[in-house]
Parts: sequence; C-alpha cells; structure tokens
Amino acid sequence: MTESNQQERIVHQADAGSVVYVSAGTAPRAVSVTQPTTAMRLAVEHGVPGIIGECGGQAMCGTCHVKVHDEYLGGLPAPNEEELDILDVVITDRDPVRSRLACQLPVTPETSLIVDVPDTQY
Amino acid sequence: MPVNTVPTADWVTLEQLAEDPYPVYDRLRAVGPVTWAPQLGRFLLTGLDDCRFVEANEDLFEIEQEDSPLKRAMGEVMLSKNEPEHGVERAAINPALRPKVIAEVWRAHFEAHARQVLERFRGLGPGADINADFALPYAAMNLGVVVGLPDVPWTDVQRWSLAFIAAVANVQEDPRVSEANRIANAEADAAIDRRMAELAGSADPSMISVMLRAGLPPDLVRANAKLAISGGVNEPQHVLTSGVHALSQHPDQLAAVRAGEYTYTQVFDEVVRWMPPIHTLMRRARVDVELNGVTMPAGSLVWILLGAANRDPRHFEQPDRFVVSRPRRPHLAFGSGPHICAGSWAARSSIAEVAWPLLYDGLPGLTPVDDDARFHGFFFRGLPGLPVTWETENTK
Repeated sequence: MTESNQQERIVHQADAGSVVYVSAGTAPRAVSVTQPTTAMRLAVEHGVPGIIGECGGQAMCGTCHVKVHDEYLGGLPAPNEEELDILDVVITDRDPVRSRLACQLPVTPETSLIVDVPDTQY
Repeated sequence: MPVNTVPTADWVTLEQLAEDPYPVYDRLRAVGPVTWAPQLGRFLLTGLDDCRFVEANEDLFEIEQEDSPLKRAMGEVMLSKNEPEHGVERAAINPALRPKVIAEVWRAHFEAHARQVLERFRGLGPGADINADFALPYAAMNLGVVVGLPDVPWTDVQRWSLAFIAAVANVQEDPRVSEANRIANAEADAAIDRRMAELAGSADPSMISVMLRAGLPPDLVRANAKLAISGGVNEPQHVLTSGVHALSQHPDQLAAVRAGEYTYTQVFDEVVRWMPPIHTLMRRARVDVELNGVTMPAGSLVWILLGAANRDPRHFEQPDRFVVSRPRRPHLAFGSGPHICAGSWAARSSIAEVAWPLLYDGLPGLTPVDDDARFHGFFFRGLPGLPVTWETENTK
C-alpha cells in the first residue's frame, strides 16, 4: 500500500447512508444512498470515475473492482462463487482481503462504506 | 411528432452502411450525437456515452417485443426479453461462460480444435482462406462443445447458425429462408433434446447442462442454445480474420506482438474496437426520452451504433487508426449492461490466447496473399474471405 493511500484511508469516515469512493489523485467522492442498490450502480449513476460496470452487475466482467477499507469489511456479505471466479481470474491487482466487485456490494440508506477505486479496471 | 425539429439525416441508407459505415458515422457526428434517419425509421446514436446510457436504462429503453425477429427465427430466446425474465435465463447460462470455466475447461478444447484445424489448413497450402478454412471450422467446433453438442458436426452447427441469422434478417419473408430455418430448427431441436436426455442430472459445464441445472424448461433451453448457435459462429470467425488482416497492415505492430511487447489480448481488444463484428443493437423508447437535447418520442426505435461508439473521438485518440498499444478503455464491441455478449470470455480465450499465437507460431510469415481485402456488412461486418500465404519448405 502506498503512503498516500494510507493517509486517505485514515482521514475519511463515511456517514450513514453514504458510500465514499477514494481514487488516487482526486478528492474522495461521497455519494448518498437514497434507496437500496449496489456500490457499482450507485457509482455509475453518479458518474464516479473509475467504476465501469460493463456487464450491468452480473459479476461477469470485472470492471467494478474496488478495495474495501478494512473497518467496513465486517458489514459486507462474503463473496459468492461467481464473484470469487472473477477475483481469481480477472482482477490483476487483487488484495486478498479487501478486493471486491462493487456490483456485489449491497448498499442501503443505512449503509456506510469506504472503498478505494483502482487506477484502471483492466 | 417532434421529428421534423430534430437533427435529421435523410441520406442514410442500409446499403451505405453495409458498404462502409464509418464515413456515415463521421457525417452523422457532424449532424449531432442523436439523429433521426427517416429512410431507416430509426434514431441513430453515435456517442459511446449515449449508447451505454440506452443499454443501461431498461426503464427508458426496452428490447423490442412485438414481432421480434429473434423469436420468429428461434423461439423464446433471452435476447428478445426484458428484465426480470431475461435476467433469470442469463443467470442460468452464465456459469458455462465465466472466465474460470473458460480457463479450466474450455480452453483445452479450443487448443485441441485449433491444432486439428491448423493441421488441415496447412495441408491446403498457401492460398488457403483463413476465414473459410480456419476461422469458420474453428469457431463452429468451439461453439458446438461449449453449447453442449460435441457430437454434432461443425458443418451442421455452421449451417444452423446461417439459417437462424438469415431468418432473423428475413423481413421480406423469403419462403426459401423460412424453409431452411424450419429445417435448422427441427434438426437443432432434435440434437438438443437428445443431449438434454443424456445430460439430465450430470455436472457437465456446457450451456445446455447449466441451463438444465438452473431449472429452465426445455423450450427455453432449446431457444437459448439456438441463440448461442446463431450468435457464436460468424462473430468470432470475423474477429479472428480481421485480426490477421489488421496485423498484416501494421507489420511493425505484429513484430512487437511477436516479440512479446504487447499481448494478443491487447490485439483482440483493439481489433474488436476498431472493427466490431456487430454494428448495431436496437431498443424501443418506452417513454419520451430526451438525450443530448433531442426528444425521442415514446415508441421510437433507436439504433445503438456500436461501430460508431467504438470510434467516438471523445473517448479514443485518432479513433480510425488501429493501434495495439492504445490504452485499454471501455468499448462497446460486446455491448454493455445486462445483455452484454455472454460469449466474450470464450471469444477472448479462443482467439487471442489460442488461435492467433498458434497460427503465427505454426505458419511462419503468415500474411494475406494480397492487400485488397474489403470488409462488408452492417448488422454483421467482416471480411468475406482472406486468402493467406506463409513460408513452407518450398518457399523458404
């Protein structure tokens, strides 16, 4: 982990009902959750850069890779077999613990979540 | 109707698009990102972001349901349906086409097929057609195995595929096309039914088997297996051939790939960006939708121009150039969203990881016989043929 990532991960906290997307080189982006959706859809609908979601949420394409900040991992469902397939085979800079597909992360108005968005999805 | 107030391209015809769509796309972009084409009765979208938006928002743009040519040709296929019905069938099929099963199961089949076809191809000698004599049998053999019909001759898979595609396009209702389609349906249904009986209760990874395990009823297994057959031959065939053509036009890039500076997977992404095998997808506006200042009235038919989106100058620098080293960015060669091509990982593996490396290693100096290859087609675009030559004992 780079020093700058470390700093970003320390300084930010997500309010309830918001997801914070952290990308290197730009200000973190907090997006409010008004209805149940996924961290991928929320990002795409709000134009968060770096999350593509080519397959629309089928865990088929591997273009919504994020790394969840440690303190929020416990609140998420474990990855299913389909998600693990993509993480195993497609994601090149996988973190063994923090890497997830944003399309498989449910978010609600009660959720708080911080994720790092990688520089590239390919 | 606000049609007379929107940017209009009354000069666009299907013939022009089939001949060469790219100058048409350039002219359309000059008119505006959303244009009305009265001769086609369609709104045309050339921008990548707009095309993605339409595919992503099924609440605004639906798959055309009434009189679906896909249904007419093959039955209740998932590509003719919206959510949630589509998603159930798609989720049933995906397990046969996920990247892990491709790598762990299907790739070995692709390699065996490639070696087998290459052996025969080499025997034909220089002048053999890489499109007809390699790419076609290779694509059809791969497809037969992945669908779950390993014992069906590839020539049958190809014939059925052509019959289905022709029937989808048979707007004039040519009785010969309808008859060929009836025969193809009867033969394919019988083969699929035999396999359903054989595979019942098995853990086979093929499409037919995973659909059965997911509980899809037999008519939907049949229809979606036929959909895969219709969509799984000429696209990978064209991409394989287009890549050989494109690399031959850029010998420096081919040399860099051969030297390991770039991967064949990078070649694949650039080939399908530069020359996607399918150029349009259609949706119908459910409500009045405004896009880029143009209102498309409810009921309007909209063409998502994949080939134009893939050369959107706002997303790709010098978009008409074939540049393998181009930074990878999202393109629309496979569409996007819930209906994104289910076979893209299979295509990537079979063409980029298996076929091209084997061809360039196995046929030293592989190159087209001449430079006058001409792409054709709009709904399906590719080279009709590409005779190639290579160094043999006699030519060295």
